[in-house]
Amino acid sequence: MSVVLLMIGLAHGQDMPLSQVLIEGRGWEIAAEGFNFADGLSTDAEGNLYFSDVKGGTAVYKVDLDGEMSGFIQDAPGISGLQWGSDGRLYACVAKEQRVVVFDEDGEETELVNEVRPNDLVVTHDGNLYFTMTPTQEIRRIAPDGKMTVVSKGVVTKPNGITLSPDQGTLAVSDHGGKYVWVFRIEEDGSLSHPGNYMEMRTPLSEPEIARGDGMATDVHGRYYVTTAEGLQMFDPTGRMGGVISAPNPEEGLVSVCFAGPNHSYLYVANGGKIYRRKTKTSGALFFGKPGPPAAPAK
Amino acid sequence: MKSCLIALLVVSPFFLSANAADEDYSPGPDSMVKEGVPRGKVTQHRWVSEIFPGTERDYWVYVPAQYDGKTPASLLVCQDGGGFVRENGLFRAPTVLDNLIHAGQISVTVGVFINPGVVPPAKKGQQPRKNRSFEYDTLSDQYARFLLEEILPEIGKGLNITDDPEKRIICGNSSGGICAFTVAWERPDAFGKVISHIGSFTNIRGGHVYPAMIRKTEPKPIRVFLQDGENDLDNLHGNWPVANQQMAAALKYAGYEYELVMGTGKHSGRHGGAIFPDTLRWMWSESKTDRETAEAP
Repeated sequence: MSVVLLMIGLAHGQDMPLSQVLIEGRGWEIAAEGFNFADGLSTDAEGNLYFSDVKGGTAVYKVDLDGEMSGFIQDAPGISGLQWGSDGRLYACVAKEQRVVVFDEDGEETELVNEVRPNDLVVTHDGNLYFTMTPTQEIRRIAPDGKMTVVSKGVVTKPNGITLSPDQGTLAVSDHGGKYVWVFRIEEDGSLSHPGNYMEMRTPLSEPEIARGDGMATDVHGRYYVTTAEGLQMFDPTGRMGGVISAPNPEEGLVSVCFAGPNHSYLYVANGGKIYRRKTKTSGALFFGKPGPPAAPAK
Repeated sequence: MKSCLIALLVVSPFFLSANAADEDYSPGPDSMVKEGVPRGKVTQHRWVSEIFPGTERDYWVYVPAQYDGKTPASLLVCQDGGGFVRENGLFRAPTVLDNLIHAGQISVTVGVFINPGVVPPAKKGQQPRKNRSFEYDTLSDQYARFLLEEILPEIGKGLNITDDPEKRIICGNSSGGICAFTVAWERPDAFGKVISHIGSFTNIRGGHVYPAMIRKTEPKPIRVFLQDGENDLDNLHGNWPVANQQMAAALKYAGYEYELVMGTGKHSGRHGGAIFPDTLRWMWSESKTDRETAEAP
């Protein structure tokens, strides 16, 4: 096969329509409800779901594989981002108190940094924590030794959601005040380089420059998911839009997304006071696990 | 050879659907190395871009044997360049250029064949960030600036290349095809001729709007060659055969010099490669006469 054929084959062999992800007849179902503003969706190795109620709650909640909900950590109000690290600890952006903290297995809290404006975070397998500071146009990093640095400033208008590629070499950040999801190369020293406005989100007709990009997730095939004013948007690993999944309740904001549940094959979204889920044909990339290349695309 | 091209253009939809599948398109005699035809030189280079920050790519430069440095050479720039320069590939651009220049059918032409960029990974075992779709499918002047401010000035250091847009052709396949059109659309002062094979005038990154834009924009001095196959893609981004016919209809409506060759092929370079010598001859021809002749049954 010629190089040209091969190239074209590769370029289009990876076309990733929604039909590779969604299952006919399996729409959104309520996974948890009764909250003010659910946020911070996250999962562990088993597939349990963890989340917060950033405006109303005082706890980190858990929905287990049987669908049972419980309070996981008490006295933890105002959390806007959560993620498990490879060290078995739960990292959190405490937006309300302007801190980033980590909870150990017993729920014991350790403060990592304070006087910050954290919104959402991601933790790499090797223990680098990246978090967005939406109001100050910053992305910051907390190194494994605890040292905090500004790794991007002024690139993303309102940096909000944050995720990684399956190999953890690329950091993706959604813009709540623009229409792009930006990608960065993560350097060996943990700094970020070569920002690119790689993914262009669909925007409302009434606000064509602002997609309200919010929470992000990645699947094992390297597809990116981002919650927006127009719904849950999906992009292929080369930054091409694959489709828009309707919000369960378009009247409420769609703010957080993650894969959880059995085999991490359910998409969960926070949509106002409720959390919804739907079964998919794919599964989530888990960053506390060992990084690797994206899985081959499904037919 | 002119009559050959005309025949192909006029009868191809009927002739080919009856007889040809994608695999039946193969390079013809003008794509074969011929004894006694002087061969140009192809050199390979690497480029680190600032306009596409962090990207690296290979590119190749073909300089014909007839190039003397005194007369400004014409220019052919191909995207996904690695496929175009490959000796036994579907396009064999250096060999085609050797043959057509030697036969006096096209002017002395420098070929530039450029691969899409990648941002290499920082750590071993990680994947590069593929920038092809961003560079090729985006509707903006960024790729045109990359050519005009980075690649071509570098090549111009050692070669005398014409500034006349009528002698500067830009070419590509698939997303490279819409990329070629975008470059000429943005900078018709720099490229006056476009060759698109199986062009992605679909909604990968908004490129489906071109037919509408062409109809409502004062015509630009661009000659456009489009090739597609009736078995080309129909997927989430769009329908390639319909999109190429929309492009052709819009170019016709707006009064452009254009040709659309519809075959029966799939999303491959086979058909475009098979007719590449004819396409290049048409690009260099006195267009008006040929258009009139080609349209007469």
